[in-house]
Amino acid sequence: MLTGSGTSMDAPAFISSMDAGRVLARRERRFASALLAPAFAALLATTTFPLLYLIWTSAFRIDLAMPFTNGFIGIDNYRDLLADSRFWSSLSVSMIYTISTVVLQVAIGLGLALFVMGMKKGQGLFRLIAILPVVLSPAVVGMVWRTFMLQPEFGIVDFLSINAGLGSQNWLGDPTLAMISVIVIHTWQWTPFAFMVLLASLAALPDDIYEAARIDRASAWQRFRRITLPLLRPAIVMVVIMRTMVALTAFAAIFTVTGGGPGTATEILNLYAYRKSFTELSIGYGSALAVALLVVTIIISAALFAVRRAK
Amino acid sequence: MTAKRLRIAAVIVISLIFILAWMFPILWSFLNSLKTDKDVLAYPPKVLFAPTLEAYRDVLFGSASILPNLVSSFIISIGTTVITMLLAVPAAYALARLRFPGKRFAGFYVLATQMLPPVGIIIPYFLVLRGIGWIDTYQGIILIYLSFSLPFAIWLLVSYFEDIPFEMEEAAYLDGASRLRTLWRIIIPQVRGGISVTVVFVFLNAWNEFLFAVVLSGNTVRPVTVAMYNFISVEQTLWTKLAAVSVLAMLPVILLGIFAQKHIVKGLTVGAVKGGGRR
Repeated sequence: MLTGSGTSMDAPAFISSMDAGRVLARRERRFASALLAPAFAALLATTTFPLLYLIWTSAFRIDLAMPFTNGFIGIDNYRDLLADSRFWSSLSVSMIYTISTVVLQVAIGLGLALFVMGMKKGQGLFRLIAILPVVLSPAVVGMVWRTFMLQPEFGIVDFLSINAGLGSQNWLGDPTLAMISVIVIHTWQWTPFAFMVLLASLAALPDDIYEAARIDRASAWQRFRRITLPLLRPAIVMVVIMRTMVALTAFAAIFTVTGGGPGTATEILNLYAYRKSFTELSIGYGSALAVALLVVTIIISAALFAVRRAK
Repeated sequence: MTAKRLRIAAVIVISLIFILAWMFPILWSFLNSLKTDKDVLAYPPKVLFAPTLEAYRDVLFGSASILPNLVSSFIISIGTTVITMLLAVPAAYALARLRFPGKRFAGFYVLATQMLPPVGIIIPYFLVLRGIGWIDTYQGIILIYLSFSLPFAIWLLVSYFEDIPFEMEEAAYLDGASRLRTLWRIIIPQVRGGISVTVVFVFLNAWNEFLFAVVLSGNTVRPVTVAMYNFISVEQTLWTKLAAVSVLAMLPVILLGIFAQKHIVKGLTVGAVKGGGRR
């Protein structure tokens, strides 16, 4: 006989079956609350509370370097933000970074998934190798690229560039090249993610549709355009949504490679909020920038979810 | 026949390009970690050289050893994993199997917390931790790591709890077992596989985190991802040591990734099916 907690499952005989059902439901509710309470307390403390506190601090001037100027300033931080050219420039860097990395990841990932799907041998090798970049810390990836890949002369990319006749370049010192570099690094690390997800979706597609299409003499392009793409659409949209959210809040692989530089050439909004808060120690204004990033994130994800729902 | 051969050759070439591209930065770091500084800086780059373990000896047992940082990384990652699992397993079970009012909202809340940009969490958290003197402490870092590990673990575990047949629980209740006992004795053993996959991913994410760590670490608590930054300065880069540290930082997560290979797509897309994003 199992003896559990003090309250056993069998209700006293005089309670009708309906009451017993209600008692059981109440016990289930209580049990559920007990199981959920610790996790939700932790989530409230580590996410909801910081969010509210962030909005609150964004209404203050909090300058750790000059504490005597601190105080409540209402919406002044937001007024400054709208007039701040560095904010607008970081926003456009964020957009360029996000759109180009997501498009590249999905395009290359999809192309490669289709390519590997057609292979008779070697699929396993691709699946194994694809894991390597995505499990690495973006901070370590950034360091390795900054030094062994992109360093002028010693870096492999520069070595290839010299041998291709393009000459040695200052990959991280030139604003355009630095932007291209951080985009390539992000794409290098996360294309395997798109590849793995899309390959899994491709493998799950039914074969018989393709058989029918082949009998109808549809060309490879037609089969892709009319059958594969529509069937893959949910997976593609999902990858786009997830990768967009990550690209908007990318940090380590830019911070370790360029630190946002040269100047502010690779400073995405996320990095600007960090630099303002922890390098320039202007935490109130940094909070306003973080709130702006949250608003941008919500607007973009709402738009993407609308696309996902649309048929 | 030649057309077919040409196609096979093209497939092999394209395959090699991609596989090499993905492996190269990792492989090259490994090779550089076995070189001397002179060999690293050789032009053209050396593929053949006399390998040495000097760089590893220096970074592990030299004057500026990163051993304490590796220990830091392990303490943070293991601490985060243990606390996350203790909180997430019961919560995921409730969300997957029990009926209670507000269940849909609770599930949505867990997903919505992931929308918050990490930089928006660390700014207020930094102020709070500074106020109570928790900067440069393990409890400070582990607490804030829950902000991303907990929603992730809950959603991944929910998907495993949902796979267990209801009949098993019902049979246990009919035997008169309490709910807690049923959960512990009947349900948990069923999701052992899911729990170990979740442990791997939570550990991996904690090991790889950088933004929170760079703000909250100091001389006592400094994970390896932050510490390796010391090997690059404006004056000089300590090439071989940086390569050795990179390899040491990459090794645990690569091993875990290969170990969890079959589950990696699920781990990467968790929550997305129900409509959310992950960091």
